[in-house]
Amino acid sequence: MTFPASHKTVFVLDHSPEFAESCRQNVDFDIFTKSRGTGVIPLAPISKSLWTCAIEAVLEYCRIVFDLFPTGKLIRFVASDTESHLLNSWDADEQNLPHMAQSLARLGPPNENEDSSECSIMHGLASAVEVLCECSEKQHEVRTSLTEESSLIKNRGRIVCITSVKSDSHVKMLEEWVQDAITQHNKLAAGSDSLMPINLCELYLIHTMPLGVDSTITEDKHVVSSVLSSFIGASRSGRYLAHKLAQVVQVHFDLAITTITGIPMKEEQNASSSANYDVELLHHKLAHSDLVTFDSSGEMNTAMGLTLKWCTPRSNTIELQHCTGAFRVTPVDVISRPSSCLTNFLLNGRQVMLEQPRKIGAKIVSHMLTSHGGEIFIHCLMITRSTLEDPPSISEGCGGRVTDYRITDFGEFMKDNRIAPKESTVDVDIEDSPIMNVKSQLERQTRHWPMVISNTIVFNMLSHVDPLPSLITKEHLDEDDVVECKKSIYHLVGMETKGDALPVPVMGSRGKGPKREEQYRQMWSELETLVRSCSDLSPAHEQVLDCVLDCRKPSEDNPKSSKRKQVVEPKEDVAEKISPSETEQAWQSLDKYKGMTEREKRDFNLGDSNNDHMKYDSPLSPDPPAKKQKTLTGEKKKDGGPKSFLALWNNKLNSIYSQKHIEFAGRNTTPGGVDELYPHMKSEEDGSPVNGNNQS
Amino acid sequence: MPTIVLVDVSLSMARPLPPTDGGEEYQRQNLANHGITTLLDYIATHSRLEFTALAVYSSLWELIVPFTRDYNELKNGLLKLDVFDKTRLDVALQEVRSTVLEEWSPITPCQLVLVTDGRSGIGPGSFRHLFDNPKGSKEKSLPIPFPFPCKIQVMLICSQSEALQTNALGLSQKLIDINGGGGNVHIPEGPLGLKSVQQMFLKLAESTYAPFYGTLSCGHLKSDIQLAPAPEGFNVKHDFETITRTVSPEIEVCGFIDVSDICSPPTISRHLVLPVTTKDSNGKNKEEDEVEDGKAPSFCVLLHGSLKVENMCAIVNVGSDWYGILYSWADSKKKSNLMLGLVQPGDESISWLGKFSNLAPCTDFDSHPYGEDDTKTPFPVRPAEKRSYAQNSVVWVRASGLQADIQKVLRQARKLPDKQQAFYKELNRLRKAALIIGFYELLEGVAAMLERECTLLPGTAHPDAALQLTHATKQLRLSVERDVTHNITPLQTNFTNEND
Repeated sequence: MTFPASHKTVFVLDHSPEFAESCRQNVDFDIFTKSRGTGVIPLAPISKSLWTCAIEAVLEYCRIVFDLFPTGKLIRFVASDTESHLLNSWDADEQNLPHMAQSLARLGPPNENEDSSECSIMHGLASAVEVLCECSEKQHEVRTSLTEESSLIKNRGRIVCITSVKSDSHVKMLEEWVQDAITQHNKLAAGSDSLMPINLCELYLIHTMPLGVDSTITEDKHVVSSVLSSFIGASRSGRYLAHKLAQVVQVHFDLAITTITGIPMKEEQNASSSANYDVELLHHKLAHSDLVTFDSSGEMNTAMGLTLKWCTPRSNTIELQHCTGAFRVTPVDVISRPSSCLTNFLLNGRQVMLEQPRKIGAKIVSHMLTSHGGEIFIHCLMITRSTLEDPPSISEGCGGRVTDYRITDFGEFMKDNRIAPKESTVDVDIEDSPIMNVKSQLERQTRHWPMVISNTIVFNMLSHVDPLPSLITKEHLDEDDVVECKKSIYHLVGMETKGDALPVPVMGSRGKGPKREEQYRQMWSELETLVRSCSDLSPAHEQVLDCVLDCRKPSEDNPKSSKRKQVVEPKEDVAEKISPSETEQAWQSLDKYKGMTEREKRDFNLGDSNNDHMKYDSPLSPDPPAKKQKTLTGEKKKDGGPKSFLALWNNKLNSIYSQKHIEFAGRNTTPGGVDELYPHMKSEEDGSPVNGNNQS
Repeated sequence: MPTIVLVDVSLSMARPLPPTDGGEEYQRQNLANHGITTLLDYIATHSRLEFTALAVYSSLWELIVPFTRDYNELKNGLLKLDVFDKTRLDVALQEVRSTVLEEWSPITPCQLVLVTDGRSGIGPGSFRHLFDNPKGSKEKSLPIPFPFPCKIQVMLICSQSEALQTNALGLSQKLIDINGGGGNVHIPEGPLGLKSVQQMFLKLAESTYAPFYGTLSCGHLKSDIQLAPAPEGFNVKHDFETITRTVSPEIEVCGFIDVSDICSPPTISRHLVLPVTTKDSNGKNKEEDEVEDGKAPSFCVLLHGSLKVENMCAIVNVGSDWYGILYSWADSKKKSNLMLGLVQPGDESISWLGKFSNLAPCTDFDSHPYGEDDTKTPFPVRPAEKRSYAQNSVVWVRASGLQADIQKVLRQARKLPDKQQAFYKELNRLRKAALIIGFYELLEGVAAMLERECTLLPGTAHPDAALQLTHATKQLRLSVERDVTHNITPLQTNFTNEND
């Protein structure tokens, strides 16, 4: 912790009648008479008072500070005439320009008619010391935090006094006055709970005088005592004073200026031509930290200014830049046309890259200007060699050779788990903070989340299973959700009963995909895993699990299908692998046929080349292409093993048909057309009348 | 963290060790080489992405091997070392400084491993001479502190009694203190020999170049990872607190955000996130293991793929009150990788995201923060106050600013009564600003100006224009007695009613 003096600044403003005097810098305010034709005499120029100039300069100082440091840098105003006037407090709601401006307006300029002998800046200086002893909110917080810092805290601050002094000895007297005030107030503060003794005070005394008057003061800085350092400056009033304070603020807050050069801008008078302008921006000097240069003697060259060239933005593509720092900026001259053009351009969401001016060599883009939420920042970009150059590619490491990651699904997952800022709530414990909700949501949603396509069935058939997978991970399920989940489950049951094919990806070597019953078995067990993983969330979740278990049971209890399963289990991990006989193979084919949809059946009978079903057992046809549908065909003997009776029969029919003619299209679509096979089976299923002539 | 190994090759390094029973006779330089080889081997095995350079110094300096990841080249460089004349550290430090600045940036943290026998030299250029002649003397000042963050590790190749004699420990510590970047003085434990020197270097290696292993998790999805380079502890003094943090080995994803919303936040360091296996790969079947590793799915790879495709980042929690961002990063077009960028510790280190702890899942909101059709974004978070450049500020330090504001009033005045609203708006803005800075002369001046405008009105002018101008003039002159918040309102006339 550094407890910098810049935390607290007190401006002491001379409000004595002397400051009502003109600064003697005339302002021609009536310059618009030329267009009014002859006969109009311009009004006489006016001039600002010393007070007005001082206020303008101080407000500019504050504008810069509040633009660059929205928090943590506090400024107070004390006006001094026959007594001191405190214009604001350390409280956050009084630390802004509108509040200060209003207090200043209410105070008004000094009263010329007041007796100047009764006015003194000493009242203000004494008050300034007094208010420095008052804790700021932050200081109070640290002091009472009962942490290590609370005992180490230092109360440092600055007093910037703008006044008019008579001589160097007058300055000396004021310094001593401040020193005495600090000593006394520190004694007071030591015995008080609410006040803090001052550990260090920097006194900036700025002597100001009207134009044409010579300064009687020597500029100086010296250490008065261990708690007081003094900086004496002098400046003519008018805009010179504003310039002086603009320099002081840079010293006080470690600021630097970047000049953006070559900003193309339409000319005010002639919109068709454009000229290049420069804009000066103030910011913390750390924004220049990676650009320190070294002169011949090896000394660091920390010049305050840096010039960077504007690069006209080409596109609006957003890239993640490697950025080493970001600092708020504010224009030196906020109302000038080039400044407001630049700031408006940035506030409208554009980014501007800044390049180092170099006569030779490649262009080096070292900074970026951009706005975030109405604040403009300068981002420092990494321009030197990175220690991470030439890294190994992620595909070379662990898991790099896996090709069927569910990239798109995880992309959706990420989108669903995007975060958004919540309204600031009063200090909540970190355990209750919104970000914990995100973590618990992530926890729920990843309880069963297969990373690769080949490891999941459920997530490959989301169109059938939805909305169950997205609902089940919710923290609370209402009745409608449970109904929806059950609907999904019943839909799956329906699919299984109908014998619909599952969109299962190809696994392992060709022809070794599991049979449909096996797929359903796997699908059910995966679904169970998914639902079970969330079943402890609420009783409603348990209901869904019960539903899955209920629906799953019958298919397993079905003796016929379970027998089939044993027989045809193609997976190697099944211990008892019964080699299927030819008859059994035929039965399987029959069984499969039974499970087909109408369309598939037609295709099957037709020998539609778009469908694998026909190729499946034909010794002449090439191996089925590796696509999802392939596994539907169940196992296939590589060595062209025993063919099913059905296949033989169909082959024969097909070869006959193909020799004779192309199948009449109408026949296929005729209800009860020639392509009906095993009509009795169909009638068992849906009870439709049996007719057809293609029975075996 | 790039390392520069700076080896003393002054004549004193050729001093032989006291002979041991039957053992071979070694010079200090042999010991140094042995120790450095140990260090290089360790780095090559555990942190092979680190850059290291090798340099020697006597009264002169030479960069034997520039910064490289080729550790064999560095070891070959060691073999070439010879012995020269006397020690002159100032030249060497000066050269280290320029070498590092040339190669890296002033913000890249580095490590200087200074291998010496602790003889500080005599005359100009010796330690003692440098320390006794602080900056400002005629002699060239010390090149430290370095302008970049740099730890100095002094490896003393001498016995403890020798070190006492030459005050090597004290002088070395002073060197480290002056630089102010941290570091330690290391001295062999026990009698000076191959073994003790090796131990010393190994200890340094293990404390400084130890790889960082941890896990990256997103709910139940997990991956074992290594961060390269290993993250340093964070220690920074802020205005009101000192922040000390170390990166936790448990790195947790706490949400996702679009790259366009995160807006290139500043990071204090970047680390490659490399998926690793927990299995201890034995030398024998290492290759097989690698093949197996490649085939087992890794969450890191999945995450990287999706982040890249969707152009998104993950916000991760890397420690108490400390966050980072994970994103896909490509050095070249072909090789992309998962990168962890650590942001400043603290809840509000990226002001445009608001507080990290206030980031909530979309389901916590009544209306979807990204819009049902994903057309809007809840970012950036806007501060309560507008900055001076984002509002219509008044600055009259230069006459041009004042003139422009007066012109605005006049322009509207000439278009009365049509531009009545705009006229009063500009007038009140001017009035308010003048009251704040106590510029009453201006109020009178503008009042006079409006009066004149009134007399210059053409005969065709709307009668209301004259009425409003007279009213405004009167009110402007009265404003000194009124509160600053009391705005001048238009005069209610029959004409205004008519216009309404």
